[in-house]
Amino acid sequence: MNTGLNRTKWEPYVWLLPSILLIAIFVIFPILIVFKLSFSEISKAGVIGGFVGFDNYVEAVRLPAFKTVMLNTLWWVLSVVILSTVLGFIIALVLNQQFHGRKIARSILVFPWATSLVIQASVWNYIIKAEYGNLNNVLLNLGIIQQAINWRSSYQIEFVWECWVGIFVTVPFVTFCVLSGLQSIDGSLYEAATMDGAGFWSKLRNITLPMVRPSLTVSTVLNIIYVFNSFPIVYTMTKGAPAHKTDTMITYLYMLSFYERRKGPATALSVIGFLILCICAGIYMVSVMRKEEEL
Amino acid sequence: MKKLFALFLIVALMLCMVPAAFAADDEITLDVIICQYGPNTNDWFLGKGMDGSNFVEKFEAANPGIKLNLDVVSWNDVYTEVDTRIANDNAPDILNIDVFANYANEGLLMPVKDYCPEDLFGDFFPSFIDQSVIDDTVWAVPDLASARALFYNVDIFDEIGEEVPTTWAELQDVSQAILDYYDGEIYPWGIDMTTDEGQAAFAYYTWGNGGGFVDENGDWAVNSAENVEAIEYAISLVNDGYTNPNPATQTRYDLQDMFAAGKLAMVIAPNQLPTYVADKGGEINMATAGLPANEGKTSSSVGVMDRVMAFKDDSAPDQAARNEAIGKFLKFFYDPENYVGWVSMEGFLPAVNSAVEALVAADPTFEAWLDVLGGCQFYPAAKAEWDQVKQGVIAAEQNALTGADVQAELDALQAELTK
Repeated sequence: MNTGLNRTKWEPYVWLLPSILLIAIFVIFPILIVFKLSFSEISKAGVIGGFVGFDNYVEAVRLPAFKTVMLNTLWWVLSVVILSTVLGFIIALVLNQQFHGRKIARSILVFPWATSLVIQASVWNYIIKAEYGNLNNVLLNLGIIQQAINWRSSYQIEFVWECWVGIFVTVPFVTFCVLSGLQSIDGSLYEAATMDGAGFWSKLRNITLPMVRPSLTVSTVLNIIYVFNSFPIVYTMTKGAPAHKTDTMITYLYMLSFYERRKGPATALSVIGFLILCICAGIYMVSVMRKEEEL
Repeated sequence: MKKLFALFLIVALMLCMVPAAFAADDEITLDVIICQYGPNTNDWFLGKGMDGSNFVEKFEAANPGIKLNLDVVSWNDVYTEVDTRIANDNAPDILNIDVFANYANEGLLMPVKDYCPEDLFGDFFPSFIDQSVIDDTVWAVPDLASARALFYNVDIFDEIGEEVPTTWAELQDVSQAILDYYDGEIYPWGIDMTTDEGQAAFAYYTWGNGGGFVDENGDWAVNSAENVEAIEYAISLVNDGYTNPNPATQTRYDLQDMFAAGKLAMVIAPNQLPTYVADKGGEINMATAGLPANEGKTSSSVGVMDRVMAFKDDSAPDQAARNEAIGKFLKFFYDPENYVGWVSMEGFLPAVNSAVEALVAADPTFEAWLDVLGGCQFYPAAKAEWDQVKQGVIAAEQNALTGADVQAELDALQAELTK
């Protein structure tokens, strides 16, 4: 009896051990290394020296482009996550309706998500090219414009294009998350609400939104992490030009490390980014869990 | 049964170690990283691109006892790869890359005289070797080079009846004439101030105005009056509508594409441009000319050169044998029988005298390019701050494109370099 009790105590941990080991080797160990590097002197050639305290962090924060990059990152994450969530939610509502060709529409929606981000960004680069870009060609052929338009006439507009591509590739993920939530809602709830005289908005507010909230929570938290860490779109479209004005934190620390060879501040920035993400995800999860408990 | 299986495993493992133990005594393995210059690089070094064989196979057959562990790495990844290997104390024995100063200054490289055979060393163009000297020591040898020149669309110039510009003032006049004639359909002048190659733009204009990255003593002088005037002139070309519309994000390859499509009248490009245009299916009637300079100043083309260097390895059991093996690698690579094929395949210019004759015989246009190369200036890549200067001048140009004051931008960079 005693042996059986002991076994039930430690058996789950044995089953968990392989996963814990893998996570420790491939996730926790690299994170610890980055933390250690951020407090170390790193030469231009990559040779790791001694402990330098917070010098790398101070240097990173004092870099001229730091403020611009942080603001860009904030705009990038907020715009892509919020707009893709809204758009994804609307598309999911549409795709949840019965209509001819629904399966095809759902399949098409997967394409932007299934294609690599570098390909997506490169394709959009070609679409908005001033010279022989697809968008200009179509508009010229339709006679809507008489002369090619420079769709990237300023860095602010270029940044908006980057955000748009970010939204375009993120929407399918949100749509499918919400769609899975919508499909799990019992149809009788809507029938009962209809019989009680509830309209579209009332059903949306009182049935749909509360029921898909867990799906939205998952997609939003994952999107915050994915979008914050997204590298290919910004790097492919502008490489942060002009002078880091379209960089986000991830592309900026890459440029710092491998173009300017300032590896110390780059490592410090990656730790700052990690902590920001931990805080964002933590706050969001706690607030959502509280609301769920209230419900 | 289990015991038998365990015994079998142990024996198998021991047998596997036998060749390694023997090999350790008389065989040297060199880790080599080669940059990917084009679609043929991998095939030439590792595939079937060298008369049905490859460089590694041929080298190992000609040099018994030396094995090559050779990787061809793309230019996008090579810095990450090398830095990671250095951080893990696993630097390659031989590295082909463009920069060397950081590695040399941090004591990671061997002086070239330690491993390069004297007859081969004497074969390199002296002006190329001079670009890899720090404190009177040569730290790397050139593997190939390219030179930039002004390419122009002859048909466009015939159509508008103008001559190719030689001065900045003429460039403005010709650009206006092209704009007027083609009603903005063709960009007169290509300009690349991107994160990849903005330093080249800085060189074209500042060298064409008597300025440059350094002064006559070799000290940084990025904010000289000549440089400020030159960059202001370049920015004015953009603001006046004479150039491609987005110089901060349109790379040289974008410009070459526009030139190949007949959308750009003039572009500064390397000697491979005709091949590039032909590969793109373009049929452009093109010719080359010197870069326009400011009135009374002489133009100077930009020479770009990559290098081969050898890292120290204190753990090597026989340093002399290792150095000799590296020397044999270089001898085999620069042997005209191999090197001529390599340089002509990638469309570059050679770095050794012994290859010139064969290359000129194969392609007479090479001779003209060798003349251009002879008059080229190179980036001051031997100075430790070069990475910082390179990114600094690019940032200054890109900020100037958004309206920042050129003088203030270059002053800030100079102050950072001299603090």
